[in-house]
Amino acid sequence: MISTVVDISEVCDNRGITKSGAEESDGFNIWRNTFPAEDLPAPGSSVEVTGVAFEFPARATGRGDNIRCRGQLLPLPGVRADWLYLLGAAERRTEDEVELHYADGAVRTAWLRMSDFWPETAAWFGEPEAFRGSGLRYPRHTQDGHRPAIWQQRVPVTVPGELTALRLPENPAMHVFALTAVLEPGVRDAS
Amino acid sequence: MRVELTPVTPWRHELGHCLHTTAGVLLAHRGLDPGIVLGAAWGFHYPGDLRREEYYLPGHADDLFAGLAPYHGLHSRWHTPAGPDEGWQEVRAELCAGRPVAVAADNFHLPFRPAHRDVHTNHLMVVHGFDDEAGEVYVTDPVPPAHQGPLSLAALTAARDSGNPVRHDRDMFFTANPIGNRWLSWEARGPQPPFTPEFVAEAMARNVRDLTDPADPRTSGLPGLRAFLDGAWERLDSAPEVVDEVFIVAGPVLATTGLHGDFLDRAGRESGDARLRELARQVAGVAHHWAALRIAVATARADRAAALPALRRRSGRLVESYEQVLAALGRHLSGVSPTAHVSGLPRISRRQTDDLPAEVTQ
Repeated sequence: MISTVVDISEVCDNRGITKSGAEESDGFNIWRNTFPAEDLPAPGSSVEVTGVAFEFPARATGRGDNIRCRGQLLPLPGVRADWLYLLGAAERRTEDEVELHYADGAVRTAWLRMSDFWPETAAWFGEPEAFRGSGLRYPRHTQDGHRPAIWQQRVPVTVPGELTALRLPENPAMHVFALTAVLEPGVRDAS
Repeated sequence: MRVELTPVTPWRHELGHCLHTTAGVLLAHRGLDPGIVLGAAWGFHYPGDLRREEYYLPGHADDLFAGLAPYHGLHSRWHTPAGPDEGWQEVRAELCAGRPVAVAADNFHLPFRPAHRDVHTNHLMVVHGFDDEAGEVYVTDPVPPAHQGPLSLAALTAARDSGNPVRHDRDMFFTANPIGNRWLSWEARGPQPPFTPEFVAEAMARNVRDLTDPADPRTSGLPGLRAFLDGAWERLDSAPEVVDEVFIVAGPVLATTGLHGDFLDRAGRESGDARLRELARQVAGVAHHWAALRIAVATARADRAAALPALRRRSGRLVESYEQVLAALGRHLSGVSPTAHVSGLPRISRRQTDDLPAEVTQ
């Protein structure tokens, strides 16, 4: 398995992970809830989730730690992959199309399905659980035991080839925290 | 005196909110299946009767249960006591009569809610008992963080008698609407229909008819939905309140759509109708468009004009998803759907050596 861990930090535009006493303006969702930072690795950490390496949370840039999906184009220069793995969570479960851009100019559509981050809510799309907070942070307190989740999604790269970019959905209910492209040599090599 | 009604079982659908959870708890207490009763009907009806309540159901604010379960003959009625004492005595009398009660409450005063002492809102939950001596009531609130247990009568009274004021910018959507000690009674008129393929087909046919050919196309069905969204986006730039309106309406429609998807999935599972389960998945896809639209409009507040093109695109995709599902449901009802039942032996090949001892496979 060949993994290409993608640095998405420059595209992050939403802050979903905060320390206690953080700015009241921060907020993963519209109610400004966040994941407690002390439950998660430090920014820029290398982590493994169900056998896949990620950089999570994203490196600190001051702009945020996740991408609220609004159709951003993420460069994937020279990446060959069978799967794109993501760490993500949604505000209510939702699904949408992503566009895979290839080096030969082709664009192919695939589905990204993302379950709800809300506590006491199962992964409707069956994703493995990546991280679960010990509580949910509110602007003025942390609700211990009210435990939000980040899930691991994957998108199939059905047609082999060199990728150049991934267009995220225009769906602001979706949040992407990390991205890794995975190639499984010998499994499905049509090149 | 102490009364604790049993069984009162927490129930929740993950796309629902306090209206559906509360109704589910009350239905289950009377032996009705919440997933079936709340999931049978699927439609759209918004006559502009917006209310800033978490338990708002468009077009049915005064008879919530009729809107939730029109195929089961349910009805509900709000009671508006003159004050907190009368409000408690009325609820207490219901409990003494063996009926759990849905009460409106401001989460700001409820210690088990994350909004306690922070955010005001207009919530709904079940009271299922009381202990006069301890000065407590027993409540069931399956909305996460789910709580079932005692609550001081003083806290309940404060929550029910709250003015639900706007204090800061997180008092969004469901604030500025006094709670007024209101409580809800409900009844089921007539016998309950059994969960049979015939009932499911009747419900589907009625849903398709009401969505495609509604009695009032200005406010109902797919024409009403188009009119609502088109009208909202026309006004959005000049009318900031449109953000709240669309968000509040989208919540219960999203919930109802999710419930109906599960209803069809269960019907397909129990009847062995694989096509029905595929249709259920398509209905869930409509819910997922609603989830996207709901957040898209809620995050549009800061720059509504800039958000408008994306909102229009999402609306178009949402309506298109309805059209596709309704066409597929129509074909299914007409008997021209793909094969419903899985037939023949499974065609799964396995390497015959997989389960044999190593020495045999050599």
